[in-house]
Amino acid sequence: MEGVLIAARTLHFAAAIALTGVFAFDCLVASPALRLSGVAAASEAGLRRRLGWLAWASLALAIGSGTAWLVAVAANMSGKPVGISLCRDVLPVVLTRTRFGEDWLLRLTLAGLLGCCLLARQGRRRAVGAIGWVALLLAALMLVSLTWAGHGGATPGPPGDLHLLADILHLLGAGFWLGTLLPLALLLTEARQTGDTNWAAVVGTATRRYSILAMASVTVLLAGGLVNTWFLTGTVPALVGTEYGRLLLAKIGLFIAMLIVAAVNLLRLTPRLASADGGTRNVVRRTVFQLRRNSLIEASLGFCVLAIVGALGTLPPGLHTEPGWPLPFRVDLEVLTLQSVVFLAILGVFASGCAIAAVTAAAAGHYRRMTAFGSGLIVCVVLGWVPLRAAIEPAYPTSFYAPGEPYAAPSVVRGAALYAKNCALCHGTTGRGEGPVAAGLPVRPADLTAPHLFAHTEGDLFWWVSEGTDNGVMPGFADVMSVNARWDVINFIRARAAAVLARGIGPEVTTAAALEVPDFAFERAGKQQTLEDALKRGPVLLVLFAAPTPVARLAQLAAEQRRLSTAGLDVLAVEIGPSARQPTESGAPLSFVVDVSADVTSTLALYGPPEDRGETDLMLDRAGNVRARWTRGGRDGLPDADTLVAVADGVARFAIAPQSHTGHAH
Amino acid sequence: MLRIFVAFVAGAVPIVAAPFARAHAFLDHAIPAVGSSVPASPAVVTLWFTQDLEPAFSDVTVTNDAGQRVDLGNAHAAQGSPAELQIGLKPLPPGTYTVSWHVVSVDTHPTEGTFTFEVGTG
Repeated sequence: MEGVLIAARTLHFAAAIALTGVFAFDCLVASPALRLSGVAAASEAGLRRRLGWLAWASLALAIGSGTAWLVAVAANMSGKPVGISLCRDVLPVVLTRTRFGEDWLLRLTLAGLLGCCLLARQGRRRAVGAIGWVALLLAALMLVSLTWAGHGGATPGPPGDLHLLADILHLLGAGFWLGTLLPLALLLTEARQTGDTNWAAVVGTATRRYSILAMASVTVLLAGGLVNTWFLTGTVPALVGTEYGRLLLAKIGLFIAMLIVAAVNLLRLTPRLASADGGTRNVVRRTVFQLRRNSLIEASLGFCVLAIVGALGTLPPGLHTEPGWPLPFRVDLEVLTLQSVVFLAILGVFASGCAIAAVTAAAAGHYRRMTAFGSGLIVCVVLGWVPLRAAIEPAYPTSFYAPGEPYAAPSVVRGAALYAKNCALCHGTTGRGEGPVAAGLPVRPADLTAPHLFAHTEGDLFWWVSEGTDNGVMPGFADVMSVNARWDVINFIRARAAAVLARGIGPEVTTAAALEVPDFAFERAGKQQTLEDALKRGPVLLVLFAAPTPVARLAQLAAEQRRLSTAGLDVLAVEIGPSARQPTESGAPLSFVVDVSADVTSTLALYGPPEDRGETDLMLDRAGNVRARWTRGGRDGLPDADTLVAVADGVARFAIAPQSHTGHAH
Repeated sequence: MLRIFVAFVAGAVPIVAAPFARAHAFLDHAIPAVGSSVPASPAVVTLWFTQDLEPAFSDVTVTNDAGQRVDLGNAHAAQGSPAELQIGLKPLPPGTYTVSWHVVSVDTHPTEGTFTFEVGTG
């Protein structure tokens, strides 16, 4: 069924693109070129007949492949096998109650209207007239409607709208470029086979017009593609390490090959046609032959691209599968200074420019220029290597894996138990590397509470926990702990390290490396929420207190609560410590003292140990990172409302990092 | 001028991508939260997904430890919120419950998953 789905998609895309292309070519290239020259009506009829056959064949293919696609999708959505019951029960539901089905009915209607247009044109011998343009509009609509039940159409909100627009541009560009290649080949075939010398003028005009059309549509295609990629910064691992990403790289490679062929057509062959007259007929004939051959090569490459698109649409996208990193190293730009990164960026632009210029020069036949630009490219690469070397870090196949368990209290608690059982022996109960067995080891166990922990990705840690390190001094735990158990341990280690390092944060807002508090669920005023929900609305002040309940302090915060919430600051007070989960003794219940489970209490206890004399206040930015910290016995004591409003204001300005995959399990 | 333009286009390297990500609806978050413990029996389970859904082919069930269904069978999409599913629950005694979801996103891809939550323990 997968194969049928991919084949149906590929053929349907090809048919829709071909339909748009044949009408676009007719309206924009062929008819104007024929009108301007004086070719005999008979030979023009030959071209019209060929284009007509192409249009009818594409229409038939579109309807046939579209039906196969509908049946395949219905089977996929419902999980039922293809058969009578599928057609009777599922198809009506798909057609009337899903967006894909409604879209399909729209396209079927457009196909019917296109058939009428083709019939109306059957009798006419010359000129396009209004029917040709109407047909082009219908075909373009049919092509563009493919996006509404696609990825851009399914994403909610403004990003989805932008994505949809980019999809539309991308498809239109494909229709007007890839779709017009076959009609161009047909025109050139007609020109070769006819004896009419007027066709030289037709070919000259047609190829010139076609160049402009192709350049414009490739630009539109690129614009759509660039916008789509802009959504995906930071996905080099996904591009290189997932099946989806590698298919996409293959598609990009084919596209570049097509562009190179197009460049040869544009820079070498078309100028020869424009300048040559009837005197050099052999040159014209040979050029027409080469142009036709190149167009067919481009069209074949384009069909391979569509086959990849057909497959891509059935795979889970690269961002949602675990990328297997193939290289033993990775580039971590965060360790470089700003000047180095700017220098590398400038070098990158120069290098791209040299590469483009070198390829273009080769396509136009200027080999000396190509060598010059090629040398420029090599110089850029050598210069860039010097700063880049400092950014190279060792990497493992799992380095870019997203954690399999979300970074939240239940996982951290499970991880703590697993750590005590498996890791404390060497790394110690505090994690500093002084466990009972540590002294006898040739390599000292790593300090798991050091800042260096956060220089590694979660995937790096996962590799070491699974496979061990230092030639077996640390054993691998893949046999002892399940995949999810290993992620739990990693979440615990990171939570504890964040807590230990957070003790170094004071009342001044820190811009240093981010230390994230795990997500947790709490109940407030009868409704359950999570810390993430609260953080979406603005920074949060997390008040952690141990018994006896600091009633005066909580009353003070309650009095200021309206002022704080107007300033955009939410307050969550959680009781930690051994006597937690007993009802508070104060009179009126305080709305910001929230109910949590034992898991959450023990997780948050990491962040507010008892030696802070009963209360720790943490200011969290919208990503959940600790930005300021006060304790009762600390230098400035606990913050009053003025301080809180000022700090909250400063913290709210911290930009939220683009949604990465840390703690985003599915 | 023409040559410069073509130079740009001919060499425009990697960034030509078709619609890349964002197919397949995955669970974004839920209330009761994944893996969490709630003190009292919730009236509904609400799930938010990363993509808009086709309600005609999407479903949620909730079962207890023994595998018996404890939901009211009325899984429905929230009005005006096509990426959200909600299902009502019978009153639940303390214990662990499993939520199983099977959804189809608007771009026709089915996905499924499960998670658990606890009532009244700890």
